[in-house]
Amino acid sequence: MWDEQFEILMRNHLPFLPADEELLPRLDLKEFGLDSLGVVDLLVSLESAYGIRLTDDILSMDTFATPAVLWDALSGIQNATVLGARNP
Amino acid sequence: MVTNPCARRLRRVADDVLGYSLMDLYREAETDYSEYSQVAFLISCLALAEQAGHAFDTEPVTCAGPSFGGKTAVVYAGALAFPEMVLLVARLVRCEEQYFQVEHQDVVTQSIARTPWAALQEILRAMTEKDEWHDISCHIDDDFFMVSMRAASVDRFRKDVRAAGGLPLYTMRPPMHSAAFGPLRRKAEDEVFADFRFDDPRLPIIADSDGSVVRTADGVRAMLLDGFVRAVHWPRAVQSMKGLGVTKVYIAGPDSLFGRVRCTTRNFEVVPINLKTTFRSRSYAMT
Repeated sequence: MWDEQFEILMRNHLPFLPADEELLPRLDLKEFGLDSLGVVDLLVSLESAYGIRLTDDILSMDTFATPAVLWDALSGIQNATVLGARNP
Repeated sequence: MVTNPCARRLRRVADDVLGYSLMDLYREAETDYSEYSQVAFLISCLALAEQAGHAFDTEPVTCAGPSFGGKTAVVYAGALAFPEMVLLVARLVRCEEQYFQVEHQDVVTQSIARTPWAALQEILRAMTEKDEWHDISCHIDDDFFMVSMRAASVDRFRKDVRAAGGLPLYTMRPPMHSAAFGPLRRKAEDEVFADFRFDDPRLPIIADSDGSVVRTADGVRAMLLDGFVRAVHWPRAVQSMKGLGVTKVYIAGPDSLFGRVRCTTRNFEVVPINLKTTFRSRSYAMT
């Protein structure tokens, strides 16, 4: 499951998701207001918050389909970053 | 479209002009490019602009409408009456559909974000070396573009954009705003525009292709026709508005792009207009 920072950033970019409604892993982000410019803003926010940079195949609108898909992508980068730091 | 009194009034006019119920067909429209969707967009923008006009105590200094929004700006500026524009929009959509059913069937327009100009230039240079046709259709911001190309080139282009740290967004068809569509411009001029007469705009219009200030009927006509073959260059339009002293822009209509990109937000105070918006302003532009 994702952390609180991710939850806050996601909600900031989902204008149609009520505050009292759960952010479900398979929520259709587009239906809840994440349009193309929202994706760009969210991308920058996530990179800044987690100190990472999304690259190559992850830079796709498909990555921003649901919270679960996005969090998996972020987790993969974070793990790779940690491993890279341990094994330079 | 349903609850706003101004939109309902415009919808009734559109129904009379078109000879069918716009709402019935709009609900069934499968794309944003159908004549139903485009007339509905025109109505929504104009209704909100009119609502904004009632709430202001001053007059706008100019107006602009990037891409399809140019047609809304033309009506708002008084260069063509609303019923005439409804007919023009419907006939242009049919004209474009006819054209693209036969021509450029393999051409699409790809939008990309977070791609610096230098990186895009490098990607396009590589395409040129491989003799792959391409044309920038929309310069939205310093790192936000739409590029037209053959469908066969899209996968490679998207991959190159991602490798440069950019984000490919959507692939669109029909394509628009390319010098390659000169025959479409001529077809639209001969078959559609020949039946319409424009007036000098009461309010200057900022052309979305180069930021020029359009003040004449001929200029309005040329601006709309040039939209087929000239790329949108929003940063130039922004600079032109600044040159006219604009400090605040009101966005009348669904705004998923131009009112939200950095080149707009860093230069102006941006006020989206919706049914709940009330506001006052001294110097503003309507987009």
